[in-house]
Amino acid sequence: MRPGAGHEVAVALQRLGASARLERWRRYPWQLLTEPPETPTMHMALDEVLLEAVARGARAPSLRIWEWASAAVVLGRYQSVRNEVDEDAAAKHGVSVVRRITGGGAMFVVPGGVITYSLYAPLELVAGLSFRESYAFLDAWVVQNLRDMGVEASWQPINDITSPGGKIGGAAQTRRGGAVLHHVTMAYQLDGPVMTAVLRVGREKLRDKGIASADKRVAPLKAQTALPRERIERQLVSAFRDLHGLRQGAVTDSERKLAKDLADAKHASHDWVHLLP
Amino acid sequence: MGHGEFKVPGGKLVVADVEVDGGEIIEVELSGDFFLEPPEALAAMRDALVGAPVNASTMLLTERVSHAVPEGAVMLGFSAGDVAEAVRRALA
Repeated sequence: MRPGAGHEVAVALQRLGASARLERWRRYPWQLLTEPPETPTMHMALDEVLLEAVARGARAPSLRIWEWASAAVVLGRYQSVRNEVDEDAAAKHGVSVVRRITGGGAMFVVPGGVITYSLYAPLELVAGLSFRESYAFLDAWVVQNLRDMGVEASWQPINDITSPGGKIGGAAQTRRGGAVLHHVTMAYQLDGPVMTAVLRVGREKLRDKGIASADKRVAPLKAQTALPRERIERQLVSAFRDLHGLRQGAVTDSERKLAKDLADAKHASHDWVHLLP
Repeated sequence: MGHGEFKVPGGKLVVADVEVDGGEIIEVELSGDFFLEPPEALAAMRDALVGAPVNASTMLLTERVSHAVPEGAVMLGFSAGDVAEAVRRALA
């Protein structure tokens, strides 16, 4: 980490002022989306459909909590399958490989093993902030809340939620029209052996991080709090509600239909997953 | 096919897979865990590297890449110079 980079961003956000920061969030009638577990391809498609719905003003800004129906490696938009995944090992362990529409690094997810959520918001929520600052701004409520739960969480540029024991999770963003998608996956409990078998972590990457394997650099929440996963999730939702306002919403039938079509036509396709072979 | 990786200190990983023929780059695949908007900027960078001589300096490769990045594009966690460094390593 470049020393001071986190500090500069923190200073930029301080300049906005605490009340101005809260006011930005409170401008919107936030909707909470909690749906039954979905397949990995359906999650990818829902993100795209809901982002576009907010971009064209057809949906209120929303917070979606994901539940995973099956295990997956979720590649960043610009990652190569070959470099990141042992596809034979993935198939052997029943882990599907999907590609999300945001950049960043590969995530390994298993049902019950992670906390994943998305924010879909108008770009004006992050107006005047650099991309780097917008990550800090959009993650601040989660970091604060984890701290309130006794987890020594902090934000680390560019897009990490970390702790003294290692990385807890990461965020990724993309923008479409007038809207931003910001999604986050945090590790709750690791399946280290399967993750290590499926994910390839190159030496070049480890050199910079100064660690020897993929699972050593992750510090799952379960190692840092006695709270069960569902409880942490509920607590994060309730913190968002208290801070920013939040009402229960639902994915509409037409959004679900669009997402189903997109999941089949694009996200399940070989061309998209192997966009970078 | 040459393979090069460069982990940007405090930033992201840039990976280049480069095919060479007749002393020039004829094909490049760029990948990594960086952030880039819009996604089309990736193809622009890739195309700009095709035709570069295999002995091109990092500076020359950097110039090719940075000229290709569309105006208003955002690169987060890496730069044109980092792409050039990964390509240079792939050519080594």
